[in-house]
Amino acid sequence: MNSAPQVPEPILSVRGLRVAFGTPRHELVAVDSVDFDVRPGEVLGLAGESGSGKSLTLRALLRLVRPPARVSGEVLWRGRDVLRMAEREVRGVRGGEIAMIFQEPMSALNPVLTVGTQIRENLEEHTDLDGAARQARAIELLDLVGIPAAKARIEDYPHQFSGGMRQRAMIAIALASEPQLLLADEPTTALDVTIQDQILKLILRLRRDLNMSVVLVTHDLGVIAQTCDRLTVMYAGRVAESGPVSEIFERPRHAYTLGLLNSVPRGGALRQPLSSIAGQPPSLANRAPGCAFAPRCPFVVADCSVAPPPLVDIAPMHGTACIQHRKVAQR
Amino acid sequence: MTFATLTSGTIGRAIGPRWTLVVGATMLGLLIVIAIAPGVFSPYDPLAFDYQAIMQPPSAAHWFGTDNFGRDILSRTIWATRIDIQIAVFSTAFPLVFGTIVGTLTGYYGGWLDAIFGRLVDLVITFPFLVIVIAIVAVLGPGLFNMYIAVSAIGWVFYAQLVRAEIRVQKQSDYAAAARVLGYGEMRLIFRHLLPNAITPAIVYWMTDMALAILLGSSLGYLGLGAQPPTAEWGVIIAEGKNFMSTAWWISVFPGIAIVLAGVSFSMVGDGLADLFRRRR
Repeated sequence: MNSAPQVPEPILSVRGLRVAFGTPRHELVAVDSVDFDVRPGEVLGLAGESGSGKSLTLRALLRLVRPPARVSGEVLWRGRDVLRMAEREVRGVRGGEIAMIFQEPMSALNPVLTVGTQIRENLEEHTDLDGAARQARAIELLDLVGIPAAKARIEDYPHQFSGGMRQRAMIAIALASEPQLLLADEPTTALDVTIQDQILKLILRLRRDLNMSVVLVTHDLGVIAQTCDRLTVMYAGRVAESGPVSEIFERPRHAYTLGLLNSVPRGGALRQPLSSIAGQPPSLANRAPGCAFAPRCPFVVADCSVAPPPLVDIAPMHGTACIQHRKVAQR
Repeated sequence: MTFATLTSGTIGRAIGPRWTLVVGATMLGLLIVIAIAPGVFSPYDPLAFDYQAIMQPPSAAHWFGTDNFGRDILSRTIWATRIDIQIAVFSTAFPLVFGTIVGTLTGYYGGWLDAIFGRLVDLVITFPFLVIVIAIVAVLGPGLFNMYIAVSAIGWVFYAQLVRAEIRVQKQSDYAAAARVLGYGEMRLIFRHLLPNAITPAIVYWMTDMALAILLGSSLGYLGLGAQPPTAEWGVIIAEGKNFMSTAWWISVFPGIAIVLAGVSFSMVGDGLADLFRRRR
């Protein structure tokens, strides 16, 4: 008898995702061999510094990356490959089954349509509700995301809302079609800290109430510690480490993850200079043949520069792409 | 009283900072009312000769005086309003609609469609506007209808340019990406989300263009290529009076003032709208 806890099947399964720009001769690979899974009801954090390919990965999932960029690999959404769907089918998935919210609530709402119109529009596109029901549902949604006096504010234009309210409105629009997966691209970066916290709590509450999964892209490890179940760390377009948040935070198994965690200021500690990772992330045009982190890595050995290390499982649902993961774990 | 004191006074507060729009729209409204029902306002038949009253200066009986056939200039100017407003609307309606559609599609899709459009624009702007219009009218024959054809054939290019540039900007915006993410179709994205955000400059230009169309209509009327005598049209009336400028200035001056007023009111509405749209951003 198998006594291991039953792991639910992933609803989203990404395998070998690759996004490349440029000509085939001078190819710039922005995202390469990215694998990850999202299970029902789970919050997956996608972390990495600017340019690590996390936002691009998110956009590639919904086929929003347009030519001349080339996307290949597999994005299995409940068994169907999004990258190979017909355009009509993709449109049903986009906004209907998978919704997305953006970093800039200031500009992601259409300035000439009222908030209510924008919510109703999504309901019209993705549900069978009639006019009156759409209006009632729109008010309900605004209320759900915590906009006070939703009924009075529903015909307001986006410019009449504050930054936090706009982000709430954007979430309301995204949730109108009751998606099973919410992709959040740095949803709190443009907001101040107290509002950030409210929005994250809101996303978590909605995840529970609506039983959806969330992929949260962020470069803020504090946000991840607070909200995510599992974490995928990206570096230079590849997955460095992937696993449960608590495990990774306690014992990182990739030299880059360790560097990231060490550079987070900790409360209560003595005041001392922030440690940072020496060097710069490599440019897209100029990647070393081996592990992209090797030039900055304190654990580097000769093997690191031969070929990019594959993502290997070192524990159930915990993988790392680091040759030196044992050394890293001993730190 | 200057405008500064006016706008800071009670009336100024009442109509707010949008006084250009309010004043312009009022004047324009008046012109439109006159254009719809010139008969109500004009004291005489604009085409009726009166040999008892030839070349009379402005008086109580004829406020704007009479011309060399004794026709009442006030009545002719009033009836001309109908023709000139019609010129303003008819020679800009097609360019506005067609230019907006072409600009939207070329701006959104780019590619070979855009390349062809670009060359066409180059071709059109190489020639002075008035020269091509006169050339086309000369080929088709004088008259208002041919003038509409000539102006429409050329004028849409400018609207298309404006809308194209704006669509290219809006296409990159976050809300456009958001609309795509929501799974909306391309036509919905283009016409419901992008176009309303991109059309502002075209609407503002439309107002100026109507003023220019009246000037053009009057110029062509003056040259004998537009409205044909004895039709009362401002340019035609001015042309009729040009030989008598030293003895009967009123024949040309009053329709001239009407052109200025119409031009100013369109421009003020255009300015006011531009201002209003900027504020809403």
